[in-house]
Amino acid sequence: MTEEPYRWLEAIANRREYIREQLKGGTPVFALSRPEGIFLLGVGQGLQSKVFEIYDRHAFAALGHPVDIERIRQAAIEAAHLEGFNRSAADVTLRRLISFALSTPLKNAFEQIYAPPLIVESIFAELGDTPAQDVLVRLHFDGNHYYETSGVVVAFSDPKREEEAATWLRQNLSPTDSLARVTSLCLTVWNALMTEKPCAELAPPAQPLLQIEGRTVEAALLDRRLSGRTRYRRLDPAGLG
Amino acid sequence: MKGDGDFFALLPERPVLPLFGPSHSPPVLEATTVFAFHCAEGVIVAGDRRATSGTVVFSDKTEKILELDAHSLMAIAGVPAAAFEMARTLQTAFEFYRRSQLQPMSLAAKVRALSKLLRDNLPATLQGVGTVAPIFAGLEVADAQAKPVIFYYDPLGATFEATTFAASGSGALTIRSILHFLENWGRPRPQDMPLDQATALAHRLLLTAAEFDTATGGVRPEKRLFATIKLLNREGIRTLQPEELERHWQQAAAS
Repeated sequence: MTEEPYRWLEAIANRREYIREQLKGGTPVFALSRPEGIFLLGVGQGLQSKVFEIYDRHAFAALGHPVDIERIRQAAIEAAHLEGFNRSAADVTLRRLISFALSTPLKNAFEQIYAPPLIVESIFAELGDTPAQDVLVRLHFDGNHYYETSGVVVAFSDPKREEEAATWLRQNLSPTDSLARVTSLCLTVWNALMTEKPCAELAPPAQPLLQIEGRTVEAALLDRRLSGRTRYRRLDPAGLG
Repeated sequence: MKGDGDFFALLPERPVLPLFGPSHSPPVLEATTVFAFHCAEGVIVAGDRRATSGTVVFSDKTEKILELDAHSLMAIAGVPAAAFEMARTLQTAFEFYRRSQLQPMSLAAKVRALSKLLRDNLPATLQGVGTVAPIFAGLEVADAQAKPVIFYYDPLGATFEATTFAASGSGALTIRSILHFLENWGRPRPQDMPLDQATALAHRLLLTAAEFDTATGGVRPEKRLFATIKLLNREGIRTLQPEELERHWQQAAAS
């Protein structure tokens, strides 16, 4: 029956709806291009991670099914290391990783309606020498992706609320803000998204908000100031204050 | 045509690389001096900068102390083509493991990985065109109390842990003799030396080795040509910069 075009379209629409429904339990993740580097933040539970190192200057943050996050993570790490080994670390670029190694398998997985889909919404980040050279990519579960040039990306299950959150962060952040303030603003938006509070009504917190009770706040920085090959380092959000 | 036989039998008769002198020897870069010893601040890994091909000095700016990851160093002696490729393979393998498994590879596994690469290189070693005898210095990252450890290898992959020092390459015999003497009768012993004394000692060791070995060179502290010296400890790896090495050298000369 799915050979008939309208049946196939219906199956795809159902699949999209199913994935969106599955993603509703996910919590948002953030990536922000800062003078110090690219700051990534996610809020998990227990030992479950949402922010990961991919390669020397590359990182990844995602929400979705943990198994699918792991599959995308492994695919990205494998492709990056293969490229880095066969050519050089400078040849590992996000544009090539996304175009050739990640978006195509995601699109295939989404459209092959007899196979399980990948339930992942993600952000990829590539550190440049300056904030203007940073690359941030928002990658969707169907392989669709866009390059964000404003320096702020949020990934969440609801596209409309995701854009609201990103807009609020862009309006309230300045290049001179400390990483503690960046963390605080991200967690303020995180709370609003999780409690379905409109972002437009938010005010920056008077006291720095660096932790969420009962949750693990994960933060990392692709650090522009480091001189070695590996630029990724984990941050202790509570210690930023 | 003369010279039936395999490719290697044919090479002396029909050399493809006349650049390397009348003997038409293949461009094998070898002979070197690298060593590692414990000092008060960690492990010093040092090497000269000369690469030779027979009697020809191929380069006096060769980097022989290679960082494999944040807590692993490999000092290469032997044929650079094989050694550099081993280092590159290990760099990728260690980082790939750490990132994909979300934990660092254990020190034992890193030591074993280099041993396996040497073993896999056996055909080239036996043919005499790929001999590598490296030194490895690393630290068990997962153990907060762990101290850096030095290992050395034979070209077939056998691994030996060095209690206080290791040396490899054509100048190694001189270095080993001096370090053995200093560890037993030196005041202070190298393992008790502060960093400035340890780097000055490293330069003096290389200058002594170069006195008896033409293949060791590229180090002339009085001309501001310093050896490659790296320090490994719990904080990671630090490459000693020329300004710092010069200061240490001058302090040692004045004392």
